Amino acid sequence: MRKYGFSTGALAFGDFARALELLENVFVEAIELSALRPEELVPLMAFVTKANLSRFSFVSVHAPAGYSAWEEAEIVRHLQAFAERGWPIVVHPDAINRFTLWTELGEHLLVENMDKRKSIGRTARELTQIYWELPKAGMCFDIAHARQFDTSMTEAYKILRDHGDRIRQVHISEVTTSSKHDRISPTAVRAYQEVSGLVPPDVPIILETPAEGEQLEEQLDLAAAAFNSSRAGQRRAGSVL
Amino acid sequence: MTAGSDFDWVLLVDGIASPEHLDACSAIAEHLRSEGLKGPGAEATFGDLVFSHDLIHYIGGDEDSNANLTRRMLLLLESAPIGRDDAYVRTTNNILNRYIIEDFGWMHARNPMNVPRFLQNDIARYWRTIAVDFAYKRRRRAGKGWALRTAKLRLPRKLTFAAGLLMCYSCALDPEISAIVSSEAGRGAAAKIVAHLATYVRKTPLGIFAELFLAHDSLAPTAKRLFDTYDNFLAILNDDEKRLRLETLAHDEIAEDPVYQAVRVLGHEFQEGLDRVFFDPDSPKLYELTRTYGVF
Repeated sequence: MRKYGFSTGALAFGDFARALELLENVFVEAIELSALRPEELVPLMAFVTKANLSRFSFVSVHAPAGYSAWEEAEIVRHLQAFAERGWPIVVHPDAINRFTLWTELGEHLLVENMDKRKSIGRTARELTQIYWELPKAGMCFDIAHARQFDTSMTEAYKILRDHGDRIRQVHISEVTTSSKHDRISPTAVRAYQEVSGLVPPDVPIILETPAEGEQLEEQLDLAAAAFNSSRAGQRRAGSVL
Repeated sequence: MTAGSDFDWVLLVDGIASPEHLDACSAIAEHLRSEGLKGPGAEATFGDLVFSHDLIHYIGGDEDSNANLTRRMLLLLESAPIGRDDAYVRTTNNILNRYIIEDFGWMHARNPMNVPRFLQNDIARYWRTIAVDFAYKRRRRAGKGWALRTAKLRLPRKLTFAAGLLMCYSCALDPEISAIVSSEAGRGAAAKIVAHLATYVRKTPLGIFAELFLAHDSLAPTAKRLFDTYDNFLAILNDDEKRLRLETLAHDEIAEDPVYQAVRVLGHEFQEGLDRVFFDPDSPKLYELTRTYGVF
């Protein structure tokens, strides 16, 4: 059965402990520990040494998305500690200044496809250029970014066609026209269903939706529907679809 | 484009409506005027704001106006984006997606040759609409410009339609695309054929024919005939004096007019070239496709 989980950044920005608390009564098997700001990296390293993450069979880390070029080597060095635990590291390609630094993360590195604001990493072709620089890297397929770039899901299909063998994790949410993550709508579910069958069944799905309370279960149900699967037996209340 | 061609353009909006879009549109029109480019034609189908919602949602039905059909078809068959292309890509892909997803026969694998009928029917509808409007404009404009419109109908408009047919037929001719079985591959199959058709949106009608000819050696003589004919036609249109003659020629002068007669002969030669492509039993696949899809 496919694994689902949340990004801590979507639930409690920068507060890892609070994010896990919010998930205490929710059945999820995957978690992405999000350190989107560079100053969150060291606290995250401290957090994982004491946090009980045993309930999660899949853990990944989201690397910082914005930092100064002089910080890059130190950031990669910190991320190496997570990679040594066997955890995938998700990175935005436009955050990379020196590809040679990131090659050290090898197959633990997952390049995420970008939303329409960015100038690289949005399309299958642009991702190909990035994988020339990072040949061992895998991919975090952000299905919402792909839909925002091309609502017909044709570019999503092309990304899956050309780079599907690299996919190790999926991000799901709904991305607004101003490129903000939002909760998944039934319309988005229909669009995602167009291509979700091309994502291997063992790839975990990480929700980046700003949900709380009952919305957590609703969003998990919608994510499962997007991937044509069910969370029967894992949910406390009825289905939203 | 030839020297006297209209420059048909639109500002395509795919997103939140904004009053500033009209300002941008006016600035584009002013810039093109300052560059000495000839503006869009009298029907005012182009040279304005166009919204993706109309192009995507209004396929068929009362809302699908003549202008909307024309814009949608030319967007698919002979357009090119200037500047950022993300709105263009989203809009064309979404239009193509509708033609596939809503093609019941294709989606349920009841179309053995994989040609997308919904799309092909709309391209055929567009061609017939042009032909009907040709008569409408002749009456409406009291015969003014009739000879030039006749020439355009016989060559470039027909070329666009024929390239649209090849775009649809490519789904049967391309080994990878013709192998798609929609019922087995699920909805991902639709994305695959949309991605294929989207590559045709980026090609010119002449480019589509050139690819066909390069792939079929037996069509080499036809290729020479068709391209030579079209080249000669463009040479006439690119000659200011001859173009003006066609624009102003009265209907009772055509029998004796050498320019019109030259264009008329080129039109017939062009048609014979198309006949060799689509109706030649020695090109069995194209002949079979035309017989199956081209008329009924």
